[in-house]
Amino acid sequence: MILKVHRLKVSTKRSIMTQTETAAKKSAAKKTVAEKVKADATVTTTPEPKKAVKSAAKKKSGLAFPFTAIVGQEEMKLSLILNIIDPRIGGVLVMGHRGTGKSTTVRALAEVLPFIERVEGDTYNRTLEQYLEAEDGKKGSKPLDPRSIKTEQIPVPVVDLPLGATEDRVCGTIDIEQALTSGVKAFEPGLLAQANRGFLYIDEVNLLDDHLVDVLLDVAASGKNVVEREGISIRHPARFVLVGSGNPEEGELRPQLLDRFGLHARIITILDIAKRVEIVKRRREFDDDPDAFMKKYNREQQKLQKKIQQAKDLLPEVSMTDSVLTDIARLCMNLGIDGHRGELTITRTAFAHAAFRGEKVVTMKHVQEIAGLCLRHRLRKDPLETLDAGEKIDRELAKVLGEAEAV
Amino acid sequence: MIAFTDIVGMDLAKQALMLLAVDSELGGVVIPSAVGSGKSTIARAFAGILPEGTPFVELPLNVTEDRLIGGVDLEATLATGVRVVQHGVLSKAHGGVLYVDSISLLDSSAVSHIMDAISRGEVLVEREGLSEVHPAKFMLVGTYDPTDGEVRMGLLDRIGIIVPFTAQNDYRARKKIVNMVLGKRDAEDTRDELNMLTGLIQAAKEQLPHVSITNEQLQALIQTAISLGVEGNRVDIFTVRAALASAALAQRSDVEEEDMKLAIKLVLIPRATRMPEREAASDDMPPQEEPPPEDETESEDEESPADTPDADAEEEQEETPDMIEELMMDAIEMELPDNILNISLASKKKTTTGSRGEALNNRRGRFVRAQPGEMRTNKVALIPTLISAAPWQETRRRDKKMAGRAKTALLITKDDVKIKRFRDKSGTLFIFMVDASGSMALNRMRQAKGAVASLLQNAYVHRDQVALISFRGKQAQVLLPPSQSVDRAKRELDVLPTGGGTPLASALYLGWETAKQARTKGISQIMFVLITDGRGNIGLQATFDPNAEKAPKEELEKEIEALSLSIQADGVAAIVIDTQMNYLSRGEAPKLAQKLGGRYFYLPNAKAEQIVEAALSF
Repeated sequence: MILKVHRLKVSTKRSIMTQTETAAKKSAAKKTVAEKVKADATVTTTPEPKKAVKSAAKKKSGLAFPFTAIVGQEEMKLSLILNIIDPRIGGVLVMGHRGTGKSTTVRALAEVLPFIERVEGDTYNRTLEQYLEAEDGKKGSKPLDPRSIKTEQIPVPVVDLPLGATEDRVCGTIDIEQALTSGVKAFEPGLLAQANRGFLYIDEVNLLDDHLVDVLLDVAASGKNVVEREGISIRHPARFVLVGSGNPEEGELRPQLLDRFGLHARIITILDIAKRVEIVKRRREFDDDPDAFMKKYNREQQKLQKKIQQAKDLLPEVSMTDSVLTDIARLCMNLGIDGHRGELTITRTAFAHAAFRGEKVVTMKHVQEIAGLCLRHRLRKDPLETLDAGEKIDRELAKVLGEAEAV
Repeated sequence: MIAFTDIVGMDLAKQALMLLAVDSELGGVVIPSAVGSGKSTIARAFAGILPEGTPFVELPLNVTEDRLIGGVDLEATLATGVRVVQHGVLSKAHGGVLYVDSISLLDSSAVSHIMDAISRGEVLVEREGLSEVHPAKFMLVGTYDPTDGEVRMGLLDRIGIIVPFTAQNDYRARKKIVNMVLGKRDAEDTRDELNMLTGLIQAAKEQLPHVSITNEQLQALIQTAISLGVEGNRVDIFTVRAALASAALAQRSDVEEEDMKLAIKLVLIPRATRMPEREAASDDMPPQEEPPPEDETESEDEESPADTPDADAEEEQEETPDMIEELMMDAIEMELPDNILNISLASKKKTTTGSRGEALNNRRGRFVRAQPGEMRTNKVALIPTLISAAPWQETRRRDKKMAGRAKTALLITKDDVKIKRFRDKSGTLFIFMVDASGSMALNRMRQAKGAVASLLQNAYVHRDQVALISFRGKQAQVLLPPSQSVDRAKRELDVLPTGGGTPLASALYLGWETAKQARTKGISQIMFVLITDGRGNIGLQATFDPNAEKAPKEELEKEIEALSLSIQADGVAAIVIDTQMNYLSRGEAPKLAQKLGGRYFYLPNAKAEQIVEAALSF
C-alpha cells in the first residue's frame, strides 16, 4: 500500500512536472544565494520533479497483506479504524507478543484508508486553506489566486519511521543536491512532513532512541515542526496519528511517550486452532500468489473502506447525552486517572465507535467496548497489583453502570 | 576450507541448513553449540551448497549503525561533491546469507535493525539526508555459544530454525574424525559429493511448490505449538514450511510423519516454554494447561495420516490429538535430553534483557552513531562532521567570497558539527536474594517484591536492572532474571513458594553466576541485596545431588566463606538485610555481610522503601 501512495504521488508529480518545470527553473534562477532566505519562510513551495522520480525508484515495497484478511486481533484492528475515523483520538500503541501480526496489520492499514484533499504536489499534504494561509502574503511574493491552485485526492499517507532514522531525515534538512547544482538552499522535507495529516508508524517503538523520542514529543505537542539549518528557518505543520508497536518484554516505553498515545491495544497469541490454521492457509496463499490473493479480498477491502468513509461522514452528526458524559467522568475518577486526557479520549473514541456502527447516539454500550483501549495505559502503575488493568477497568465500569441503572 | 559434505556429526545442524537451502523463506538457522565444535565451519561450508554467486556476508560484532544500514560514502562524496550512497551490510546480504558468529553477543541496536530488515525484507535508510530503500532479503545464519548468554527472543522469533543444543558435540572427537576423513579422501570425491548435494537441493526446490500438506497435519502442528506453549503465531508458518521443505528434499509430494517430526524438532521444541504432559510429568513443573482436547473415544492407532486424502476433514480432526501426542513425544524423545526445557531457548530466555541495560550517552561506551549536537560539551565525530560539510563547500565558498574571505579554507559551520554518541550498558544490576525458608518467609518475600517493584519504577531513569533469586528447600532459583520490565517482574513474582531449608550457598552461587553473565553483557556495577537471617543449613552438595548427606556445619561455613571471597574479589557489592526479630538472631547475618565485604542492615518489619533506600545508599 505504501507502494500505492508513492505511486500515486509520483504520477501526480510527473503530470505536473511539465507545467511547473519551467516555473521552477525560473524561480530557481531568481533565488540567488545572495538573496538570503528570510527566517520563518517556507522555502520549498514548488514541487520538485527530480526528487519525485528518485522516490519512484527507491520505494519499491512488496504488496502488503490485506487488512480484511487478517484473522483475529480485533482490538488492534478496531483501534486503528477508530483513529482513521477521528484522528484526534491521538493514535494507538499496540503492544503484545512476538509474531502476532502487529506490524503486518499496521502496514495493511494503508489499503483501507480514505482519501484526503491536498494542494497538488504539496509535500506537506496541506489543504487549500492551510496552503493559502502559509504561503499567501509572504513578503515579496505576489498574492496567490486560490483559483489557480489545483488540488488532488490522495490516500491518507502512512509513513514508516525506522529505528535507525537520523534526526535530519525525520525533521527534514537542506537539500544538498539542489544547493550544489543550483545554489538554492531548499528545504528537503523529512518524514514528519510526509506524515502530516496521515499516520506515522514506529515499529519497536519502545526501542526508539531517546533523542528521536524527544523530537516526536515536541512535534506531537505543538503540531509543528521547526528546522533551522544553513541560515534558514522552516516551520511546517506536522499533525499525524502516532501508531507504535512493540513487545513490552523488550523494554518499557518512556512514560511521556506512552501518555501521547490515545489508545493502547493489547495483542496476544491466538490459541484457537481453527483460527491459526486459517492464518497459515491465508499466509501461504498470499505468499504463493499475492496478486490473486489481493483480488480475492478486493471487495471486502472496498467495503471496509466505504464503511470507514461513511463513519467519517456520520461523525459530525453523532451526539452524546450528559448522563453518558457524567458516567465517563465518574469512571475516570474512580480509576484515579490524572488529568483530563482520559475522559477526552474516551469521549472521542466512543463517538467514533458509534459512527463506525452507524449509530448517531453514543450509549454506555459503546463506551464499555472502548474503555479498556482508552484507559489501560493511564492507570497508575502498581507493580504489586495482581489484577490486570483491563479487569480493573471492567470492574469499575460495572460499578458505574450499576449505579447508573440503580438511579 | 572444509566442505559441507566432509563435516562429520552435527547432523541436525546440517539438516537444518539444507532445509534453509531449499526454502529461504524459513528465514534462517541458529546453531547453538560449544566453543570449537565447528559451528562456524559448518556455517561457512553452507555457502558451498548454495547456488554459485549467492552472497555470503559475515557480520562483524562491532558493526556500526552506518555500516549495517548504509550511509554516505565519504571518499566518493568528497571526490565528486555529490552524495554517494554506500549500501550497508544488510543489503549486501540481499539474496544470500548473512552470517553472524557469536550472535548472542551482538549489540542490541544491531539486533533491532536486523529484526527490522527481516520483517520488511528491505532496509529503510532514513539517515544523513538520504532516504532510500535497499532490498535486504537474506537468510540469517547465526552461531553462538550458549554460555555467552542467549539470543534475543525477538530475533529468534523471526528466524525459522533453531537447532536444539545438545551436549553431543564433543569437538575433539569430531576434529579427529574430520582429520581422519580428510586424510583419506581426495578433492574429487568431495567435489562429487558436493555436486550431488547441490543437485539434490536444486531438485527439492523445484519439488517444493508441488508438496501439499493436509488439514489435519496443519492442525496437528499447530496443536503441538500450543501444547508446547510457543509464543506467537508466526512460528506456525515456519513449522509448516520446514515440514514442506523436508518432504521436498525427499522428493515427495505429500508431507509425512517424519517431515512433521523434523519440523517440530527444529522449529517448535527450541521455543517450548513448557513440557506437555504425558506420563507423570516431571516433579516441579506445575501443570499449566490441558494439552489437546481428548474427547475422542475410539483410537485408531498406527494409521499413517499422511496417506489419507484431504477429504472428510471433520472425521480426520477427531484423530489428531492422538496423532500429535505421538508425534510430539517421538520428536522430543529422539536423541534429546529427558527434559525439553533444558534445551529450549525460550525457557532460558530469562537471561536476555533486550536493550534495557544500555543507554546511549555522549561520553563512554562503544561509538554507535554521530548526531548533531553541541561541540563544546561533547566529543566531536570528525568524519561525520566532514561528511556533512563536504557537499557545502562550493556554495559556502561562493557566499564567503562575497564577504571577501579566503577560498582555500575548509568551511565548516556549527550546523555541520556531529558529536559522537556511545552506547554504554550503564546502570546497576541489583540482585535480590531472598530467604524463602521458614516461617518468616512470606513477609520477607513481600518486602522483596515491594523493593523490586519500587526499584523498577525508577529503572527507566537510572537504567538499573533488577533480578530476584529466592532460596528455599534444596536450592536457590532465579525468579526474575535481570530485567527492567515492570510487566515481566509482575508476572514472574506473582507466585512465590516459601518454606523449607535454607540453601544459602546455592543462592550465593546462583547470584554469582547471574552476575558473571551480566558482566559479559557489559553491566559492570552489580549489587547483591540479601534479605536473610544468614543461617544457611543446606550445602551446595545437596543442591546438585538430592541424595547427598547433610553436610556438617563447618563445611557449610567454609563453602559460604569461599563463595563470598570469590564474589567479593569479582567486585560485586553486597548488602545484607536482616528482617528477623532480634532475639532470634545469632549474629549470622552481620557475619555474612562481613564475609562479602558488604554492609549489614538490621531492619525488622522493613518496608519496601527502606530496603530500596538501603540498596541505593550503598
